[in-house]
Amino acid sequence: MIAALLKITDLTVVHDDDGGERTLLDAVSLDLAPGEVLGLVGESGSGKSLLCRSLVRLLPSSRLRISGGSITLSGRELTTAPEAEMLAVRGGEIGMIFQNPSSHLDPVMRIGDQISEGIRFHQRLNAKAARAAAVDILAQVGFQDPARHYDSYPHEFSGGMRQRAMIGAALSSNPRILIADEPTTALDVTIQAQILRLLMDIRTRRGLSVILVTHDLGIVAQVCDRIAVMRQGRLVEVGEKRGLLAAPAHAYTRSLIASHPSLPEEDMPAKTEKRQAPGAVPLVDIVKLHVRFATGGLFRRGAVDAIKEVTLRVMPGETVGIVGESGSGKSTLARAVLGLTPVSSGTIRFDGADIASGRAVLATLRRQTAMVFQDPYNALNPHLTVGKMLAEVLRVQGKIETAQIPARCGELLDLVGLGRAFLDRKPRSMSGGQCQRAGIARALAVDPKLIIADECVAALDVTIQAQIVELFRELVERMSLTLIFIAHDLAIVRNLCQRVVVMHRGAIVEEGRSEEVFSRPKHAYTAALIAAIPHIDPDKPLLAPSKMATAQADGVAN
Amino acid sequence: MHRYKFVLYRPLQFLPVLFGISVITFILVRLIPGDPARVLLGTRATPEAIARIRAQYGLDEPLLAQYFYFLRNLADGEMGRSILYKIDVLKLIATRIEPTLMLVLCSMVLSVLIAVPVAAIAARNHGRLADQVIRIVSTFGIGFPPFWLGLMLIILFSVELAILPVSGYGNTLSEKLAHLVLPSLTVSLSLSTVLARSLRAAMVEGLRSDVATAARARGMPESIVFWRHVLPNSLVPTVNLLAVNIGWLIGGTVVVETVFALPGMGQLLVRAIFSRDYMVVQGVAMVFACATVLINFLADIVTVALDPRVKL
Repeated sequence: MIAALLKITDLTVVHDDDGGERTLLDAVSLDLAPGEVLGLVGESGSGKSLLCRSLVRLLPSSRLRISGGSITLSGRELTTAPEAEMLAVRGGEIGMIFQNPSSHLDPVMRIGDQISEGIRFHQRLNAKAARAAAVDILAQVGFQDPARHYDSYPHEFSGGMRQRAMIGAALSSNPRILIADEPTTALDVTIQAQILRLLMDIRTRRGLSVILVTHDLGIVAQVCDRIAVMRQGRLVEVGEKRGLLAAPAHAYTRSLIASHPSLPEEDMPAKTEKRQAPGAVPLVDIVKLHVRFATGGLFRRGAVDAIKEVTLRVMPGETVGIVGESGSGKSTLARAVLGLTPVSSGTIRFDGADIASGRAVLATLRRQTAMVFQDPYNALNPHLTVGKMLAEVLRVQGKIETAQIPARCGELLDLVGLGRAFLDRKPRSMSGGQCQRAGIARALAVDPKLIIADECVAALDVTIQAQIVELFRELVERMSLTLIFIAHDLAIVRNLCQRVVVMHRGAIVEEGRSEEVFSRPKHAYTAALIAAIPHIDPDKPLLAPSKMATAQADGVAN
Repeated sequence: MHRYKFVLYRPLQFLPVLFGISVITFILVRLIPGDPARVLLGTRATPEAIARIRAQYGLDEPLLAQYFYFLRNLADGEMGRSILYKIDVLKLIATRIEPTLMLVLCSMVLSVLIAVPVAAIAARNHGRLADQVIRIVSTFGIGFPPFWLGLMLIILFSVELAILPVSGYGNTLSEKLAHLVLPSLTVSLSLSTVLARSLRAAMVEGLRSDVATAARARGMPESIVFWRHVLPNSLVPTVNLLAVNIGWLIGGTVVVETVFALPGMGQLLVRAIFSRDYMVVQGVAMVFACATVLINFLADIVTVALDPRVKL
């Protein structure tokens, strides 16, 4: 076996509370060989990111400290190295990229300067030589006109290009190890595939070792050599990829694998196809809808077509998934259905009535529809307990007697699988999954015919995602709800929805029964989307070269 | 450079603003109780003399007509005659504008020069002693009225130490600057506390931000993280705060010029108000209002230069 490049032994990190301490990383031991790609998986809060930060001694709070264990990089101890030495290690030996390139890149500094900054500091090059080196790096990470893009600012680029720029900045001082902390979580699947491909290319070219932190076992299965599973600050399992995926030793690893949405569900009840009586009125009937947004100011006017010629019919009791990349118009469509966005042309009928025909129709619409939002924390009022929040909705709706409100609140919590004790809890003291359940309870309080869920599981961990999807499935069956489920994650939509609508640049490019669309996509765009999902089976390669010919297509936004 | 195109067409928007300013100052000045002719002639003036003066200055005409004359004169570059000084208001203001302009400029520069390092020290020692001391001192700074601060500075530097002039304005540039030190210090001590508090908050946030984390992860030392990343990102909201406070700053010159006997527009305004010199009050108010509009315009340009995302 090759000598480890990085050796972590019994690393322990504690948080100093007033009068005590909490252990956040508990005796983690892990090796990284030269050229190896190690996947680090686990839920949020499991300590993955904290472990990465500890390696370069950049702990996110001054109350955190490394209380024991050692980290050795080529035989050099890092936990006790002086700060000046750590400056050379960070960037120079261990580079880092992060989940959200938009917040990690300096918005007021040119992209190229953020790359050359490290070159100037670490390699002591003058401004001109550093610029040349940075232009070279920009070319390596896939910028097509690096000399010009050097002078661009982060906001001028798309998410994928920003992530490329951040990779460039991390590589600027030729590190031997690259830590990638959820580098593709914020990106669309097709862009995610391109970024993963780029990371692997760079790994091969530079002989980098990579620690890839992710919650997506599919990514790990596709690109990593070994997998380490973390839970509650402990390393529960580590091993070679195929062996670990085929025969997980730990119960938690098994549940992670089981909840991966790319797996076809074997014991899933067949999606009940409700036969519609002939002549039934569609609940939502959208005909040739256009939504156009004006852009520019007084002097240069323009318009962007957010929705182009969309015709869609949703029958009562149906579960329809809308998928597409960011900017494809999914959310605008949802807002238009709820009458929250001005419509340029076309009609939307709800239960047979045109929602543009007056306030009365709009009022009815809003009493019979509800929305579940992406970010469960921001969508709930932080000052209200769950009970007060539900009671408020029930009171405003006026559909039931005031005396019955407390009982109904309890029932709603039962429906979404939260204990009645949550009536007195505030969002702050609840987890993301619990908040989302409360959000769904609030939607159900309206006693809606239609629920629109906009990316409502995107911010949740995989195991929680699976639970929420299961909850929706139950609710739809039990309460004869109609559900429009918007997501960029195709696998989830496949598991939940009977019908799927694929949107691309404001238009519907494909529509049909889920099984059909996913097994025999007719449109090239749908096929590309499906091909870009990292499959948990390492033998179904994501990064087949033919599919990656378009890797460079992800250009500058606008 | 299309981001700077607003520099060309924004001044067009000033026209309705200036019209509004002229209407408001015209009406406000006439709401001040008291008759300028009576003030001018004294309490024992005959009714005939008062009527003559009123006719001479157009004070006996209806308000709308007075406003019309005011606008017509403005088009000719005149703001009417000062009742007290007997010369055109615009010429009068021209002789008084320099000390005020210098005072405002020096105060702004000095405020920034004080606020940036103070905020930097506080933010980089967040939660430690230096930070606490700066926060307490700046809270007091906001509470102290400028006139009291000015008097204390005079006592310390001019009376006790005798290194700076007590009051007035000089003839040569160095004399003028020496006379401006204490007045601008008085204004900027108040203003910089407001700026420093906002800047400190932005910097504390910035030091914790993802941008700073990413820079540290690239091995940048704390000094580069701070001066190259945190500071530029913190300046944008502070420039806007400075622009918002311009009105306060210009208003503050009135008090400070009086305390330090600086022969500027603030002092002129105070005298004009006491002697019901309508035309002068109106003229000074207009110049102050225009200056506020202009400085906010400059602040917009600076914001665009500091933040590439801003489009105006």
